[in-house]
Amino acid sequence: MIPGDFQYRKPSGKKIILIAATGIGGVAGLVVTALIVTYVISAWIGRPVIFGFDDGPEQPIAFPHTTHVEQLGLDCTFCHRTVAEEPVATIPAVGLCMTCHLVVGDGNPEVEKLRDYFAAGESIDWVRVHRVPDHVHFVHEAHIRFFTAADPAKFPMASAVCSTCHGDVGSMERVRQVRSLKMSDCVDCHRDNGAPTDCTTCHY
Amino acid sequence: MAESWGMVIDLDKCIGCQACVVACQSENNIPINEEARFNERRAIEWIRVERYWEGEFPDAKARFIPILCQHCADAPCEPVCPVYATYHNDEGLNVQVYNRCIGTRFCANGCPYQVRFFNFWEPEWPESLKNQLNPDVTVRSRGIMEKCTFCIQRIRRTGRDAAQANGDVTDEEFQRTLNPACVNACPTQTLEFGDLLDVLTPLREGTRLPKEPKSRAGAKIKKELESEGGIGVREPGGRGYRLLEDLGTNPSVIYLRKVEPKVEQTTGHD
Amino acid sequence: MALTRRQFLGMTGGSATAAVLFAACGVPEKELLVQAPFEMPEDLVSGRDAWYATLCRQCATSEGVVIRVMEGRAKKVEGNIDYPLNQGRHSARCEAGLQALYNPDRIRGPLLRAGERGSSQFEEISWTDALGRLTFQLEELQRRRAQKSMVLITNPVGGHLGMVAERFVERFRGRFMPYESIERTNLRAAIKQVFGQDRMPDFDIERANFILSFGADFLNTWVSPVRYARGFGEFRQGDRPRGTMVHVDSRFSMTGANADDRIFVKPGMEGILALSIAHVLIKDGLADTAAAEALTGGDTLEEFAPEAIAQKIGVAAEKVSGLAHAFAGGRPAIALGGGSAAAHTNGLFNLTAIYSLNYLVGSVGQEGGIVFNPASPLDDIPSVPAVTAFGEWQELANDMRSGDVGVMMVRGADPFYGLPASLGFREASYDVPFIFSFSNFMDDTTAMADLVLPEHNYLEDWGSDSPDPGPGYELVGFQQPVVRPFFESRGEHLGTRGFADVLLAIAGELDLELDLPGETFKDILQAGALKLFELKRGSVRAGDFRAFWNGVLQRGGWWDVSARSTGPAATPPKLPQAEEPRFDPVSADRFDFHLVPFSSVGISEGQGAHLPWMQATPDPITTATWLTWVEINLKVAERLELREGDVVRLSSTRGSIDVLAYPHPGVPPDVLAIPMGQGHVAGGRYAEGRGANVLSILATLTDEKTGALAWAATRVRLEKLDRWVRLPKFENSGADLPEDDEQLVLQVTRDDT
Repeated sequence: MIPGDFQYRKPSGKKIILIAATGIGGVAGLVVTALIVTYVISAWIGRPVIFGFDDGPEQPIAFPHTTHVEQLGLDCTFCHRTVAEEPVATIPAVGLCMTCHLVVGDGNPEVEKLRDYFAAGESIDWVRVHRVPDHVHFVHEAHIRFFTAADPAKFPMASAVCSTCHGDVGSMERVRQVRSLKMSDCVDCHRDNGAPTDCTTCHY
Repeated sequence: MAESWGMVIDLDKCIGCQACVVACQSENNIPINEEARFNERRAIEWIRVERYWEGEFPDAKARFIPILCQHCADAPCEPVCPVYATYHNDEGLNVQVYNRCIGTRFCANGCPYQVRFFNFWEPEWPESLKNQLNPDVTVRSRGIMEKCTFCIQRIRRTGRDAAQANGDVTDEEFQRTLNPACVNACPTQTLEFGDLLDVLTPLREGTRLPKEPKSRAGAKIKKELESEGGIGVREPGGRGYRLLEDLGTNPSVIYLRKVEPKVEQTTGHD
Repeated sequence: MALTRRQFLGMTGGSATAAVLFAACGVPEKELLVQAPFEMPEDLVSGRDAWYATLCRQCATSEGVVIRVMEGRAKKVEGNIDYPLNQGRHSARCEAGLQALYNPDRIRGPLLRAGERGSSQFEEISWTDALGRLTFQLEELQRRRAQKSMVLITNPVGGHLGMVAERFVERFRGRFMPYESIERTNLRAAIKQVFGQDRMPDFDIERANFILSFGADFLNTWVSPVRYARGFGEFRQGDRPRGTMVHVDSRFSMTGANADDRIFVKPGMEGILALSIAHVLIKDGLADTAAAEALTGGDTLEEFAPEAIAQKIGVAAEKVSGLAHAFAGGRPAIALGGGSAAAHTNGLFNLTAIYSLNYLVGSVGQEGGIVFNPASPLDDIPSVPAVTAFGEWQELANDMRSGDVGVMMVRGADPFYGLPASLGFREASYDVPFIFSFSNFMDDTTAMADLVLPEHNYLEDWGSDSPDPGPGYELVGFQQPVVRPFFESRGEHLGTRGFADVLLAIAGELDLELDLPGETFKDILQAGALKLFELKRGSVRAGDFRAFWNGVLQRGGWWDVSARSTGPAATPPKLPQAEEPRFDPVSADRFDFHLVPFSSVGISEGQGAHLPWMQATPDPITTATWLTWVEINLKVAERLELREGDVVRLSSTRGSIDVLAYPHPGVPPDVLAIPMGQGHVAGGRYAEGRGANVLSILATLTDEKTGALAWAATRVRLEKLDRWVRLPKFENSGADLPEDDEQLVLQVTRDDT
């Protein structure tokens, strides 16, 4: 290369437009791709919210299932009463807790918190551990019915079925999620057990 | 096949009162059809009452026909969905899976009855009206196709009730909770719903109808049809027919023709 | 990988785009919680539904409904299969009760006017304050011995609420003026005159063979449409041979569309047509001779021979005689009339002539004919809801203008909307010092009020009903709250209160002795139920009253199928003197169209305009929604070069409205039919400022014998304006008039069916 050989020529109007368009198009394409990638990754990782997985979320009252199930021997359905009849298992009302804790647990700070809620007439907003999206209609009752009918020896009563999906809740100080509860989890179990895999079993 | 859900609609009884339309909107969380939706031709009514004119004053006639998803056995909307969001399940329902739908609208394109509706806009309700929404039915967001489901949420709920009671979902005692909202609303009882397995299968296969169909709806069809086993517009005496029969969609909804006495029989006017 | 959504967001640097995307796509905060309620009674369990029986109080005829309630929210209305009137069926309007309950524009607490009257400026005050103010004004009237200047305007209330309201007004010595925009004054007077009955009869449509209806849109909106439609289904395709229905009208109504034949008669001439039919029946020996003798006194009504009146009534003579033969040959046959047939200056004559036809075919008190209703088993509730004829409203307006009305209390009625503008009610109201409204909606009347004391929605309230017309036997329906009041009184300010309880509270403050069987409205209802319990008969039997009360509430009411009317009227009264209708203006010179308003399927006469489902319900014939249209004959529209959507101005001698033209294949050429219900000045986001109020331009002609408003007697002229608005319709293209070449309609002769 001999210095001075290079002659700078201003690009023609058409070329400028071409370069500008390519440039803008390229940048736009990059931005769009970046957005799409960000969205897809976040959508996959972000939903459903899997925050129940570690030690379980912190709850407004540190309710220990260990005390109530292992030590006292309460059955699951004593509190979660409607699980064998209704789609929803239901968290027990404050009034139900107070049937015992009106007299039991003096001095325990968590019980005091409970009694404060009751005295104020307020409901307790527990942090949800197990959640499916709202286009999924999950029915507890059908699952209890299936398992207790299919294998009465292994599942003599409703509460024997709970640990299949919820794990050994009785041994949890803080309730945490043990299964992913993503659709693959549900469909695998359905296939294994001969339950319907029709979409509208759950999605309608 | 477990069941084959279908409907019988008696056009001699339909008076056009729109009770079925509003009952469906109430049950299925259908977005409110504002004035703009009608102007855009995008109002959503899973069941609608069409009015057909014939003639002009003083001999004008207006006739009503309720049209809803026909749940065709050979539905033109099913094979075209790129993500398999709509398909025929083993209960004879044409099923729409909302969470799979990506909104190509190809299915609506193919439906000859125009019973598929797309959510072009995000449905909105004022906060207090949301209290009325049915928790058994998914609220669809923008970009999702929807249509009549024969109130599948009621079929599911009744199925569970029946299982708990050791009965069958098609038992008479469950008919009222099984019926779609439109069927229960209709003042003239134009609509009948039921398991038409013993009627639709012979229909599709061209064999004879059974002696006594299991459901009340099936019995209604049987009563109307001559035992040729076929439902056709020109069958003698029979009132039953299906919409756009020649397209071969094999609908699960059977209509019974409206009856009109010749005018000279009513008022002696020629 | 225990990655929370929040951590990931942090990792992306919290870019604005991501934040926007995720906010739109993420999980709503409230779904991350699950609530343990304070108490969980067995009817409020999550996921479980409870169905409560009550009455739908949106129209005058209450259907028995069951409401699906989940977690304390009303989700769905369905018909109560046990309730005798509707037996599980219900209308489109019944469904929309939920939208009235949860409407975003509901008034949530007492309001005091804060600006000029009519400016809709209000401030919230407490119930103590509101009741105090109302009581003070009534006390003032008592002190000045001016109790007569208190006017209580309600919808026609029956049942125990009617008892409380009537007793309150009676003891206060004020005036009670129940209001309905499309009044049944002529209908009731005709029933009384022809059958000697105070209560409306039931029409045994299921077992009839021929129905001849004049002007009454009984399948759509007239009197008890759900009951009639239920019967109509049986009538058409039940166990008996298919019945025939012929509809006579001056417009193309939805009932007409469902008729086997439609006869178009000139407006107001229905009575003369009926007399002509009577003439043919008598002359051709088709009528019951005894009845004919009693009705006519031997006169063969020659001047009403079909040939003589054909021109006048606009119906060909052969058609009239054919119709008469078919009517008589189709026994059991029912002749019924109402709607626009009653809405003329000769309305009473029209209806009496029409209902008298039933005697000639022997269907009075017979199966398949006119079935009388017994009196209510409870004698302390009004057997028939009172109504006030339009003539009294004219008097009231005059009284208002001369300062003789001191306090106006309005509940469940919208007279400022429904009364014709030329009555001057709105202007006269400025001379009324105090207007109190009990509505829970800012409707046209409430916008003019000084004080609003909002009442519960009917789903939150108690009540009862003695339906009129009943099902042919004794029936008392009971209404119970299915949800807690949406605006519950928490503290002094907020909340709605039941109307009856407010009246009782006011009566207490004023030391009015009401002599009612209870302190609260619920007590009064229970006292009524106790009376039914002591009858020891009927649909609910129980060992003690507690079980009986629960049983009645569970079933939605009490009835006794064996408690029927004691029998038909003794002898048919003589036929009335024929009368021809008068119109306003008298000459058709410059006002060449008859204006025939009609009730809309969804919004009725305006009461449903705040309900979005009702606004969006397509009219059965035109499929139009949301706005007001005028149905014009196709050929006339062509002649005037009108397309659908052209804005036209309709002017009567009292005012004008702008509506959208709808060229209609079925309507007669000299008639313009317009749906009622739009044109509200106030009423919330769904009702305000849309369409036009056809009731406002009506001429104030009345039937002089009863004082009823002749709302179909107005003549208008039409002027095309230079604007076009797309008419929101459900169907796509305009009138399409195909031939039925696929034979999709089965043509039969008499012998086939």
